Amino acid sequence: MFKIMVGQGSCGISAGAGKVYEALQNAIAEKHVDARVSVTGCIGMCFLEPIVDIYEDEKLTRLVCVQPQDAAAIGEFLQTGDERAVARLKIADEDSAFLEKQTRIALRNCGLIDPESLEDAVAHKGYAALREAVTNRTPEQVIEEIKISGLAGRGGAGFPTWFKWNAARQSEGSPKYLICNADEGDPGAFMDRAVIEGDPHALIEGMLIGAYAIGAQEAIVYVRAEYPLAIKRLEKAIADAKAAGYIGAHIFGTDFSCDFRIKAGAGAFVCGEETALIESLEGQRGMPRLKPPFPAQSGYWRKPSNINNVETFANVAWILQNGGAAFAAMGTEDSKGTKVFALTGKIKRGGLVEIPMGKTLRDVVFDVGGGMRGEKNFKGVQLGGPSGGCVPAALIDTVIDYKKLSATGAIMGSGGMVIMDESTCMVQMAKFFLEFTTKESCGKCVACRIGTKRLSEILTRICGGEGREGDIELLEELCARIKENALCGLGQTAPNPVLTTIRYFRDEYEAHIREKRCPAGECAALVKYAIDPDKCRGCSLCSRKCPVGAISGEARMPFVIDDTACIRCGQCAEVCRFGAVQKG
Amino acid sequence: MILLNGKEVAFVPGQTILELAQAHGIDVPTLCHDERIEPYGACGLCVCEVKMGQASAKLMRACATKIADGMVIETHSERASRSRRFVLDMLLSDHTGDCVAPCSLACPGGTDCQKYAALIARGEYHKAAKTMKDVIPIPASIGRICPHPCEKKCRRALVEEPVSLAALKAFGADMDLQDMPFVPDCAPNTGKRVAVIGGGPGGLTAAYHLRRKGHEVHIYDKMPKLGGMLRYGIPEYRLPKAVLDKEIALIADIGVQMHTNTMLGKDVTLDELRKEYDAVVAATGAWVSSRMRVAGEDLAGVFGGIDFLRETALGDPPAIGKTVAVCGGGNTAMDACRTAVRLGAETVYVIYRRTRDEMPAEQIEIEEAIEEGVQFKFLTNPDEICGDGKVQSIRLQCMELGEPDASGRRKPVPIEGKFETLAVDSVIMAIGQKTDFTGLEALETTGRGTVLADAATFKTNLDGVFAVGDVSNKGADIAIAAVGEARKAADVIDAYLNGIEIAYEKPFVCEKEVTAADLADRAKQGRAVMPVLTPEERRHTFREMALGFDEETARREASRCLECGCLDYAQCRLIRFAREYKADPAPYAGEKNTRKKDDSHAVILRDGNKCILCGLCVRACDQLEKLSAIGLAGRGFTTEVGAAFRVPLGLSNCNGCGKCVDVCPTGALYQKSEGKKNVAVDRG
Repeated sequence: MFKIMVGQGSCGISAGAGKVYEALQNAIAEKHVDARVSVTGCIGMCFLEPIVDIYEDEKLTRLVCVQPQDAAAIGEFLQTGDERAVARLKIADEDSAFLEKQTRIALRNCGLIDPESLEDAVAHKGYAALREAVTNRTPEQVIEEIKISGLAGRGGAGFPTWFKWNAARQSEGSPKYLICNADEGDPGAFMDRAVIEGDPHALIEGMLIGAYAIGAQEAIVYVRAEYPLAIKRLEKAIADAKAAGYIGAHIFGTDFSCDFRIKAGAGAFVCGEETALIESLEGQRGMPRLKPPFPAQSGYWRKPSNINNVETFANVAWILQNGGAAFAAMGTEDSKGTKVFALTGKIKRGGLVEIPMGKTLRDVVFDVGGGMRGEKNFKGVQLGGPSGGCVPAALIDTVIDYKKLSATGAIMGSGGMVIMDESTCMVQMAKFFLEFTTKESCGKCVACRIGTKRLSEILTRICGGEGREGDIELLEELCARIKENALCGLGQTAPNPVLTTIRYFRDEYEAHIREKRCPAGECAALVKYAIDPDKCRGCSLCSRKCPVGAISGEARMPFVIDDTACIRCGQCAEVCRFGAVQKG
Repeated sequence: MILLNGKEVAFVPGQTILELAQAHGIDVPTLCHDERIEPYGACGLCVCEVKMGQASAKLMRACATKIADGMVIETHSERASRSRRFVLDMLLSDHTGDCVAPCSLACPGGTDCQKYAALIARGEYHKAAKTMKDVIPIPASIGRICPHPCEKKCRRALVEEPVSLAALKAFGADMDLQDMPFVPDCAPNTGKRVAVIGGGPGGLTAAYHLRRKGHEVHIYDKMPKLGGMLRYGIPEYRLPKAVLDKEIALIADIGVQMHTNTMLGKDVTLDELRKEYDAVVAATGAWVSSRMRVAGEDLAGVFGGIDFLRETALGDPPAIGKTVAVCGGGNTAMDACRTAVRLGAETVYVIYRRTRDEMPAEQIEIEEAIEEGVQFKFLTNPDEICGDGKVQSIRLQCMELGEPDASGRRKPVPIEGKFETLAVDSVIMAIGQKTDFTGLEALETTGRGTVLADAATFKTNLDGVFAVGDVSNKGADIAIAAVGEARKAADVIDAYLNGIEIAYEKPFVCEKEVTAADLADRAKQGRAVMPVLTPEERRHTFREMALGFDEETARREASRCLECGCLDYAQCRLIRFAREYKADPAPYAGEKNTRKKDDSHAVILRDGNKCILCGLCVRACDQLEKLSAIGLAGRGFTTEVGAAFRVPLGLSNCNGCGKCVDVCPTGALYQKSEGKKNVAVDRG
């Protein structure tokens, strides 16, 4: 009997896993093979989707980049056992390293279980830790265990989880609320989505344990509406858990009762900020509140509330099962356990990476990620999305640890890791993130609403070749003032991409401003295309390709680009077979 | 106990930093806070530097931070001020509006034209006169003769024609003079004494404002009556002297003492005045006609333009004969040629070396002169005045226009060998005026022969001696320029008398660009035409040529004002703090939000371009009125305040309670006067 798992996280589905799944079912039925095809979440290797894992007892055959038309070959393999039928689909050894070098705790079941099956989850120890906690431990003991583990908020700020739980537990007021922040909004981040899509019961269990610890009677997941699959699977998981008695009154026959529900957010980035999230939950416009008071004292409906991120909760059951000490054994003095990163950008192997704290950025980028795509040089990595900063290649050996990463000017963040190679312009990169924050600012405080707008305008003019002497200093001044005056974390951290790129790539800013040159060649306004008359054979291909007719010439004579008409699309350089079109 | 600006003070538990600071008389600025409404923290202007224990000092919002024992608070540290300046820079960089209407900005006196126009439209003439007299003590006179730079900037011109602001000024001031005219209050006597030399527009204005500030003021003037050039330079047909007399009498009524027929350097010396008074203002004007430096200038029958006008005003016009040539293209030349017509000259020429387009005189003056029969000899320049002891003819060099000169006007160049000769009985040289330095010899001069005075303090080289108007710096200018300088100088002199040194500083204001397209929705409504005597009547009389607006015309004309200036300027907290913290949005200039004015509501006018998104209106509506008629919409830089579903306010459930208007820190919300022209609110 074969057990076939088709990776159907959002990443797999967008790569066509749904059709592969159907084709496989048909093939199996046709060949009368004894096999069961099921769905699983993101296996982690988004760069190889769709992925089909075939288990024969313990033996795993992993097929990658599978297309529906491969179903026949797979059927043949299942029928005959002859691996040659699928040899071309088998994962390469070097790609296998992607998973082998990871340590999976939060993602422990992702890609292994069927996220829509409670039985599968329970078979993988799901809800065992909850049972243990509510039947054998006091809330204080649970908090103590979390304290021993050293678990810190995985949303980015890295605040000790036990401290927040304890504050909410100690806080006067009733009822209390436990809230999960699944409003994952950083561009390039998809850790939380993968957890919910791949192992929703791990989240539910972690939240129920948290609710028990702080004394909450209601747990709410605030998840962005742009994650329909995550919501669908979470809804099913909640319904299943309710039916099984894990949610509701007298859980495991104890006095602990807890309701559970989902609130779909309307897509405002700022709702990832905890007080804005609470406002939104209350039906108000998502705008941050003044702190203090903190949510632990006065949160949802002004009652004690605790908010943690998805990944934080996903670690909780594991910690209770394996002991806080086992978790704390991983990592550094300052940062314990593992961290999940979403690896994207110019990386060879992009996907979900969970590794212990204390590893270096090099471990992630080169060992797991396999370095740059297409022989380019590594330039830097943007950590923590729009709130984070850029770590340059020179600091690739920086240890993954809250304090060490902060020292670089970046932050651990929620786990977005955007890799940049030499073709990435760092001013463009900063501009991209600032345009994002300008749009996503809630509009409440002046520093963020107008300050980020002015930052993006200055960056835009620098990229457009209209930078002025003094613009770098103007950016620095604006950044300093915004950080100091902004009301919430979004605004206070919004200047980070600018500050870190100026810190590490000041010469690139200067080249844009003083020489009107983009060293990475990414800023269209600063790039010029010209044809080298010695190399041009006059084939006219570029001229025919040019969308604006900016290239002219006579056959077999060197062609010329009219710079005033050129829109810098670069197609001429791409199609030239003689390397005659030069970008400068 | 805590430390507040270095002083140990006690606090009440639960008190915020803002409340504590206010209790100690410390002004911590805020734009988004109101004690009746929950703290919100949007503006970030109230940040103070707060240190707790060993932690490094942080900027905290004073409106929302509750005081904890042991706090060390600095409300006005360098860091806090810098952060505040940043907030103000940002707000101003996205603030679109005119603090002050362009007409007022264009007026050298800074007259609030929009406000007096509105008051005239409402029929409130005494209030209109009061508004004028905040700047100009002689508005009925100035309104008649001012070349009105205000109208040149009037945006109504983008619709059809500018509002007739100068004529409205004269109308409003005349109405005020008819019965119980406005008389300003004067501050209690200070015991300080000021001498003003010269009783023209500058001297009268300086005296008026200094008197209002409680000082004892004496004007010394060489002529038999006060008024200076208004009386002796402006012909009766433009400014009846009876009007001037009434306005000067009102200045005397507030206690300004006037000494006429007293010539400086003869009857009284600068030294004596300096000894006798705590301050001296030199406002003696420019009373010497410039010479043309052509042969025959000294012949009998050649007169200086202002000398000719002065003697006419004194009732003893010189004999000019039947044919007169007036040289020059400015307003004095127009006054001279038209006076010559009224004195009976049959042929009056104006000799001007360029063309009509380049003439500095007002176009209306040129037109009226032509109507009265004056003949213009353009592109001619006096070459020689010929005659045997007495003028018989004038020889003119013919000119043509060459390349533009420094002033941008095309430079006239002689056409070699081309001349024209006119037989004339007299020649009037109206090509400029110079300063008479008699009695002022001790004062340092400029290169152009005027008294050198500091442009911002009006100080001369002698302590306690100030100079304003035509006598100083760039020399002869229009009357309102002298009025403006004198008003500014009065503030500086007042401070000087109190032992404080200040300088006039042009206040920072927000301005916006407006094009005809922006005003395309305005209904066209032509400018009121001033009724005048017929040209035939004019040729024979010095009676005032303008007949004045009737009340209905004036009120309708005043209603044409587009209300460009912010109605809340006097109470705007944004501009107040911007000045206090020396905000400068220029380095951050970028895109601004553009929103349409919402005039859909019966009593509330919303101008989203002035909204700073402090949220006070939204919260007042929600928390004070429990209505929630308005809210925030959109996200990021383009966030805005509006009614639900972005319907116009007039279609929302707003009940017009006005609480939002009360709390709005800027001019984004205004309580309309139903059916009447809106008038800017007074300083609160």
